[in-house]
Amino acid sequence: MSTLTVDISDLKVSADPDDLIVTYALGSCIAVMVHDPVRVAAGMIHYMLPLSETSPEKAKARPAMFADTGIPLLFQSLYALGCKKEHLVVKVAGGGALYDDKGLFSIGKRNYTILRKMFWKTGVIVAAEDVGGAKSRTTRLHVGTGRCTVASQGLEVEL
Amino acid sequence: MIAPALILSQVKALPALASSALRLGELARDERSAAADFEQVVRPDPALTANLLRVANSAYFGLRCRADSVRQAITLLGVKRVSDLAAAVALAPVIPARLPGYDVEASAFWLHSVAVATLAERLAAQLRRPCPELTFTAGLLHDMGKLAIGSFVGDAAGEILAHVRGGLPFVSAERAVLGVDHGEVGGLVAEAWSLPPAAAAAARWHHAPGDAPDDTCRPVVDLVHAADALAHALGLGADAGELARSVDAGVEARLGVRARDLEATAGGTLDDIHELAALFLRQPGGTP
Repeated sequence: MSTLTVDISDLKVSADPDDLIVTYALGSCIAVMVHDPVRVAAGMIHYMLPLSETSPEKAKARPAMFADTGIPLLFQSLYALGCKKEHLVVKVAGGGALYDDKGLFSIGKRNYTILRKMFWKTGVIVAAEDVGGAKSRTTRLHVGTGRCTVASQGLEVEL
Repeated sequence: MIAPALILSQVKALPALASSALRLGELARDERSAAADFEQVVRPDPALTANLLRVANSAYFGLRCRADSVRQAITLLGVKRVSDLAAAVALAPVIPARLPGYDVEASAFWLHSVAVATLAERLAAQLRRPCPELTFTAGLLHDMGKLAIGSFVGDAAGEILAHVRGGLPFVSAERAVLGVDHGEVGGLVAEAWSLPPAAAAAARWHHAPGDAPDDTCRPVVDLVHAADALAHALGLGADAGELARSVDAGVEARLGVRARDLEATAGGTLDDIHELAALFLRQPGGTP
């Protein structure tokens, strides 16, 4: 079994049922975890910001930094492995927030809003999610089974 | 609650920062100093010399030509940058392998320190403000109070985290349980290390810049506060406090910062933070 670590602004896909995909320290960033139980493949992105328009140059070099460039790339990477859209199970975690009355650091909320808009437009249904709150999260996705867990504040739960 | 005398004894027990770093900081603030004065301080310190040249020649700084001597590095980078790098070289060996109270490894503590230093500087540039002197150093050293009270926080971790889960910011939970927080202790550490006022103020007030007295270097404190919040939001060096940090209500108006400035700064700085943090991870001997 290999453990594939998804760094911030990165994505990984795998069709090896023994692989585990993991990402750490999701604050306001969001992890989208996708599993295809028929093809038996999975992928995860850990994106940092909602829109690539804030840094178009960076988006070319690091598309997984942004929701609008990274999420399509994650799905395309899975289709390239032979996954079919109708089989995909999509889960979402992260989008946390600081205690911030004025909403200056509302990156998490904006990250989530953009994701919901994109999924609504493309007809992607979110099977489960754990978003918001003053939490840092670690997520794990087992490629073989699609089992997905979220750890935060000392507790690990199934998603 | 911890007795103040016990805190002071912990502060005094911390390893001292390399005196060469402090001396370079003094020289950088003295307009009469010349490159030769810097060279005199750096050259007798082999670790500082080696690291300065290695970091100066890294892709991060993108020098047009290679610096083979301390004098060249000072000429090419400028005295301010050399002083910042000396602070980083001095801090790295002081960080213990693990800070149990904060549930953080040295590498994560280091990543967070470098992230705050870099984000504070880049945020000033994004806002088209002159970057105040010592912003990088102040950002780098803002959490030094944690080094002194880590063991107390470790003993009280359960109680502190219970407050955090109840909705209290981490720094308020520290204060509720211990009677002090790492910001206040950071101010004491700055005094013990004879750090300049801007670095001391950033350590003391980075969680409550609005409460800092009027005569503090508030622009530095505000930049470090915003950079610290941004680094935590992005998970750069996450610790036990997770995202339970308060954003000062006045910082938006004082800095003239908007959400899109924070996003642009984050996007443009992430790779540099990782690169700079990794440079020091490879530092030989006793480093994170």
